[in-house]
Amino acid sequence: MTLRFKVLFCATLITLLITLLASRHAFPDEKIVYRLKWLINMSTVGDVMAESQGFFRAQGLDVAIKAGGPERDAIRELELGYADFGVASADQVIQAAAKGAPIVVIAQLFQVNPLQWIYFKDKLQLNALSDLRGKTIGVTFGKNDEFIMRTLLSQAKISEEQVKLFSVRLDYTPFYKGQVDLWPVYANTQAVEIGQKLRAAGKAYGFLSPGDFGVHFVANSVVTSKREMQERPDVVRRFLEALLKGWQTAIEPQNSESAIAAVQQYDRDTARDLLVEQLKETRRLVQPEATKAIGHIDAAAWKQTEQIMIDHRQIERPVEIVRFLMPQ
Amino acid sequence: MLHRRIYQFLLIYALGISILLAIKVLVGLSDYVIPGWESLWHTAREVMGRYLSDVMNTLTVAVIGQVVSVILALLIGILGRQATWFGSFIKVAAYNFQAYPIVAIAPIIFILFGDGFLSRLLIAAMICYFPLLLTVVGIMAEPIYDIEHFYRQTGRMRWQLEVKIRAFENLGKLTTVIAGSATLAMAGTIVAEFIAASAGIGYSIRIALYQSDLAKILVALFAIGITLSVYQGLLELGGNLVKRVWSR
Repeated sequence: MTLRFKVLFCATLITLLITLLASRHAFPDEKIVYRLKWLINMSTVGDVMAESQGFFRAQGLDVAIKAGGPERDAIRELELGYADFGVASADQVIQAAAKGAPIVVIAQLFQVNPLQWIYFKDKLQLNALSDLRGKTIGVTFGKNDEFIMRTLLSQAKISEEQVKLFSVRLDYTPFYKGQVDLWPVYANTQAVEIGQKLRAAGKAYGFLSPGDFGVHFVANSVVTSKREMQERPDVVRRFLEALLKGWQTAIEPQNSESAIAAVQQYDRDTARDLLVEQLKETRRLVQPEATKAIGHIDAAAWKQTEQIMIDHRQIERPVEIVRFLMPQ
Repeated sequence: MLHRRIYQFLLIYALGISILLAIKVLVGLSDYVIPGWESLWHTAREVMGRYLSDVMNTLTVAVIGQVVSVILALLIGILGRQATWFGSFIKVAAYNFQAYPIVAIAPIIFILFGDGFLSRLLIAAMICYFPLLLTVVGIMAEPIYDIEHFYRQTGRMRWQLEVKIRAFENLGKLTTVIAGSATLAMAGTIVAEFIAASAGIGYSIRIALYQSDLAKILVALFAIGITLSVYQGLLELGGNLVKRVWSR
């Protein structure tokens, strides 16, 4: 073997090694599945921004964002290994914790629960919770809006016989027809859509926000498994960093265009003007106070949520939910 | 016959639960993903009474829906049995009507009829009507030459007699398909309740799903299965009884 050949061989080998190392660094090798709670809409703007702006990729993560739905359960998928991270409602988290699911809450996306009740101002004057007496109130039986409403009613010392709870679906006709006085909506999505229709029809409407009456039931949170936390803490840290950066970027007013474009890639049915309004509302829910960090886990609100679940016999005994929240 | 149906169901249910529990133990899953024995027993004690009452509510709608669809299928089967233009038209119209998926039509039904009894009934009837129709049309369109020939030659054949001969000769087939369609009627009613109604076992399953409570869903499945087994067994007994009475 000549010296020239040896030099050529070593140079080729070194070049190959450098290329291999560079490609490992340039392309993410950690495949991550992130299961959302619901379909991709404005409530997931930060998630899709983290993906479209390349924040996950910059952290060396190849994240597949998967839409949720009523038949999807992120916590189950975490345990079965079909997902690495997921979004779950607080009541799901608490129920799972009560049944021994090994999960950890790593971020709380909404600081204010988007759930509200919309009503016609010409039909209902709502100054205090006691004004709910005798009204027909829409709730989704079995979901958190039922527990929240029952908590509000018990706060106002209104018994179940003094109101009529109406089982709601996605069809708002009973509300428009006036069969139901209050209808549950999400402030940053449905409320914007219905509000636009009602304004066009010249109707005055208002919202009943549980938070105004001291009921702070936690909404959606990002969860992962204890196994993931123990075995891949670095992946959890990088994922969270990219995700929160996505949310931070999404709610900054100067990034409105790119945020709306990111959502529009998935949600093609919602009109642009609605998306603009929905984004404004989402900002308020994600960061109501500038001093509060995005993704902040509100332990007090979690404790209250757990208490509500106990009061309504959704769990039999306390789970000490704080143990399932990632220390901040 | 009734006992056999119940045994079969209990066997299948026990097998299903055992497989689930085996997976739970082998993979080490929490009660949230697959409930354990204790959780199942506790849930069953808590909700079984209510769920059985819900199942009876659903079954009532399903039975009425099934009766409606049997009548409808018989009517169309009798009308469409002849190889005439009208017979073909009835058959094609009936088949086309069924081509639309029920879940797509259901929202329209709920808007028109609300989320009460009528919508559930209509959906139950629509789901179990088609297999019934196929069988009834098949039976009614197939002449029983050996018997019918005599009546035709003697000029005593009437349409009522023709229907009676063909129904009697295929009574076993008819009974089987009617018993089988009970499952479809029940499934149809449950689907309707799951989509939009506010009563019945389908509605309870929907709530359990909201609460991510698999134990409740498994209890609901038991309540549905055992009720349906008894109902199907009774239908088969009824079919045998009719056959015996007709044979006299």
